[in-house]
Parts: sequence; C-alpha cells; structure tokens
Amino acid sequence: MKRYCDSLVIGGGIIGLSCGYYLSREGFKVQVIDSMEFGSGSSGACDDMILLQSKKPGVVLELAMESLEMYRFLHMELGCDLGFKQMGGMILIENQEELAVMEEFVSSQRSCGLNVDIVDREELRRRQPHVSDRFISSTYSPDDSQVDPFLVMKGFINAGQRLGMEVRYREAAVTAEKNGAGRWQVLTSTGCIVEAENVVISAGAWSNIVGGLFDISIPIFPRRGQLLITEKIPPIGETNLWSASYMVTKLRPDLAKVRENQSEYNELGLGFSFTRTAHGNYLIGSTREEQAGFKKLVDYRALEALSRQVAHIIPLMRHVHIIRHIAGFRPATPDGKMILGPWPGKEGLYVASGHEGDGIAMAPITGKLLSDIFTGRKSITNMKELIPRCMVV
Amino acid sequence: MENEQNRLICRCEEITLEEIIQAIDNGCTSLNEIKRYTRAGMGLCQSRVCSRLIARIIAEKTGKPLDEIVPVTARPPSRPVRIDIFSPRGCNVKNS
Ligand SMILES: Cc1cc2nc3c(=O)[nH]c(=O)nc-3n(C[C@H](O)[C@H](O)[C@H](O)COP(=O)(O)OP(=O)(O)OC[C@H]3O[C@@H](n4cnc5c(N)ncnc54)[C@H](O)[C@@H]3O)c2cc1C
Ligand code: FES
Repeated sequence: MKRYCDSLVIGGGIIGLSCGYYLSREGFKVQVIDSMEFGSGSSGACDDMILLQSKKPGVVLELAMESLEMYRFLHMELGCDLGFKQMGGMILIENQEELAVMEEFVSSQRSCGLNVDIVDREELRRRQPHVSDRFISSTYSPDDSQVDPFLVMKGFINAGQRLGMEVRYREAAVTAEKNGAGRWQVLTSTGCIVEAENVVISAGAWSNIVGGLFDISIPIFPRRGQLLITEKIPPIGETNLWSASYMVTKLRPDLAKVRENQSEYNELGLGFSFTRTAHGNYLIGSTREEQAGFKKLVDYRALEALSRQVAHIIPLMRHVHIIRHIAGFRPATPDGKMILGPWPGKEGLYVASGHEGDGIAMAPITGKLLSDIFTGRKSITNMKELIPRCMVV
Repeated sequence: MENEQNRLICRCEEITLEEIIQAIDNGCTSLNEIKRYTRAGMGLCQSRVCSRLIARIIAEKTGKPLDEIVPVTARPPSRPVRIDIFSPRGCNVKNS
C-alpha cells in the first residue's frame, strides 16, 4: 500500500504532534507516524513544567518565554483544557556561596526580561512553610507554569485531525530513500510506503536512530531521568520547587560541594524538583543519567536517593506515599540546545528534536518555528543557534 | 443507558465508561494506552481495581481475546509506600 502527503512527521511525542499541528494549520497535508503508542515516549514520562528560571539568558530563555506566552492561549486555539496553571516557582538556596551565584544568575535573567527575584528567609517561609529551615533564601518567579503533557498531546491530535492531519501509532519508519522525482519514500513497519515531499524527524531520544535511515548522524542521545509520583495530597506550599545546588554545580563547578555519597550522586546526576500536578499528585525528581542508554527500568538506588532528598528538604513529605516510580529518556544534545531546521545537504529533510529537559515547555514554539521555516515566513527569533549544526559528540 | 455511560470504571481517577469507550474509538487498543489517554489506572491502586474491567471493555469493543490483552506495565513500588521507608537517613538530618 502507498500513502501520499506533503509532510511526514516521524515520532508522535509532544514535539512531533506540535510540528504536525502547526504544519496542518498552514495547509500542509501531514501524516504523523510513531512506532509505539500514544504517550509512550519521553512526553509520557516526565514532569510537567514550563520552567523559565533554570535557563541561561540567550536563545533558549527567549524561546521558552515565547512558548509560555503561546501556552496561555493555546487552549482556546485547540479547543480543550490543557491543564495550564501558573503556580510560580522557587529555587531553594542553602548557603551564602549558592546565594552569590544565584544573585548573579537572577540579575542576568532579569536583564532579559524575566520576572524573577531573590526573596529572603521570611518570604520563603511564608510561601513554603514546610521547607526545612536549613534554607536561607530562595528565588521566586511568578511566571513558572505547567501543563498536562497528555492533554497537550491530545489537544494537538484532535485539533490537527480537524485540519486533516493523520496520526498513526504502532507504525515505525523502517527505511527511507528518494525517488526519481526527488520525493521521500519511507517504508514503514506496516509494510506501507509513505511518499512525502518533506520529512520531519522528531523521534525524541531515538532521533539519531531514525537519522540513520536517512544516512545522517544527529547528535542526540538519551539522558535517562527517573522520578517518583506521590498519592494525591493537598497543596503543601504556594509554588513548585527546585534546589539551587544542582544549578550551582552547573554554573560554577568549582563550588560543587562534596557530599557523603558523592559518586552515587554524580552517577545519578541527582537534582531536586518538586511539582504538583493538576490532579493533585506530586512529582518528585529527578535523575540525569548518562550511562543508562535506553534502559527503561527504574532502580532502587534512585528511589532511595530521591526519597532521602525530598525528606531532607521537605520533612513533612516523609509521611506521604509513593505510588509509582518511572523513567523517561530526555533527548539530549552536546551543547544543550534543541536542533531545529532543514538538514544541510538533504533536501526536504528536517529535524525538530533534542529538547532534553524542556520539550514540554518548548513544544508550541518548536512547531510554530518549523511551520515558519516551511512557509518561508521570517521568524522573529534568531535561529542561527538552533539549525542543525556540526557538533562533536 | 445514560446512567450506564456514566458508570465509573476507574474509581481512583473517576473515569467513566463513556471516556474509556471514547479512548477506544479514538484508536487506543491497550491498557497502557488507555491509561495515558484517560488517566484510568493512574490512581492510588495503580489499576489493580480497574484494569480487568477495562480489559473486558477492550475485548468487547475490539473483538480481541481477553487473554491477549497485555497487563499494564508494572512499576515499583507495587503498593503505595511511605517515603520514610526509603529514606531512613532522611529522618535525622544533621544541622536541622
Ligand atoms: C524525568 C524527566 C522530567 C522531565 N521534566 C520536564 C519538564 O518539567 N518540563 C519539560 O518541558 N520537559 C521535561 N522533560 C523533557 C521532556 O519529557 C522531553 O523533552 C519531551 O518529552 C521530548 O518530546 P519528544 O516528542 O521529542 O520525544 P518523545 O515524547 O520521546 O517522542 C518521540 C517519539 O518517537 C517515536 N519513535 C522512535 N523511533 C521511531 C521510529 N523509527 N519511527 C516512528 N516513531 C519513532 C517514539 O515512539 C516516541 O513516541 C522531562 C524528561 C524527563 C525524562
Ligand atoms: S481504580 Fe483505576 S487506578 Fe484505582
């Protein structure tokens, strides 16, 4: 059997679905295929944050701010609830050294227009009465928000289908070649050949494997993240939470403190995030593991480390039950920026992937920018840093 | 009939028969997929109560034999467990 379309999107996670939707909106005939099921990639195994505070000033922060603005109105456009909430966020600061680093970081973000501040101990207590009093201050941004990734994916599917988009799960891309007329012929696992003018690779952490079908090497690799899901409980603070120590380690490696379990800490890439979902469960994260490859298993070590960490930071949480422990694969790139745009030397081949820990936040802007590239409309944002670039992996 | 449609299939997440059927009509064919699509099975009991009911609905709607319907992916902990069980040292943190 053979099918025809203008654009074939390979990978139906939140990014592929956003690309599919925005391309359909421009009148392209789009098909999205995905080898697994709805939500079985990283977009179904992650936190739900649109987190601006963690971003360094530059293109990523600018795009995240734009994406957040899009999310504010997206439910109207897609015609359904997306679980969008703006709870704000605080990054907890434990000592003077961390404070100094975070003060500098926050002031550079403010100069980019981000609404963020450092608050004193008293305000921290007021907004977060249950946080251990070891913390001396924190950042606060009212803008940090969240959505329900499953609702966003469903929203893109339903609104896209109304525009003629087709979405097929359980159909993998298997081989790809160009025909005489210069159109892509993609053979799929159902034995179908999809002929398309353009192909978009948005297969998340698996993008480089799909790239192989097109003889290209995309510098995207899996960075596993494990997190814990609690039973539903009432809100125990005003905002979502992170701790500064992980960010300080990244910004100022020389200040990284030596811990009791340093090697375990490094291997797991342990950082603290604490967010309340629209449904009332808390998500306690997370690890950033380099060596786990595509192993979807969770491990007891991480369960213990994440539990210990949250009990240490929010003692009240000791009494709360964990109902599930999950792992997902962040699509990571060597320079930490997503890859978006036409692949050089391969006409009609595009990549939209590599969002690592920000794919949920960046989904709307990614699809929108891709459709801007397709239509040749000039985009306001500086794209140079995102278009496929040679990187040493 | 309307009452039947409103029947709760997943009690923990309050998901009705109608929502399950809608998910199947929209192309969901497995317990895992219905779980992600509707939240049925994501609750406190982690689908222990609802998964057999949902499997039966899938079988009825799609004609798939019941024993071919794969159970939901099991993830630890298999029962709700209090955080302090995993974090004995978290309880007596120094300098607090
Ligand atoms: C623990 C954790 C916490 C996170 N927290 C956040 C957060 O708070 N905020 C945020 O913005 N982001 C967060 N992320 C990151 C976010 O989950 C990802 O950036 C995002 O889901 C990536 O979406 P995607 O569509 O690119 O990938 P995926 O959702 O993984 O989708 C890729 C799809 O490609 C399909 N595929 C693979 N191979 C093929 C093939 N050959 N043919 C067809 N299809 C194929 C797969 O089946 C998969 O469905 C987190 C991630 C983790 C792991
Ligand atoms: S009844 Fe469905 S999760 Fe408990």
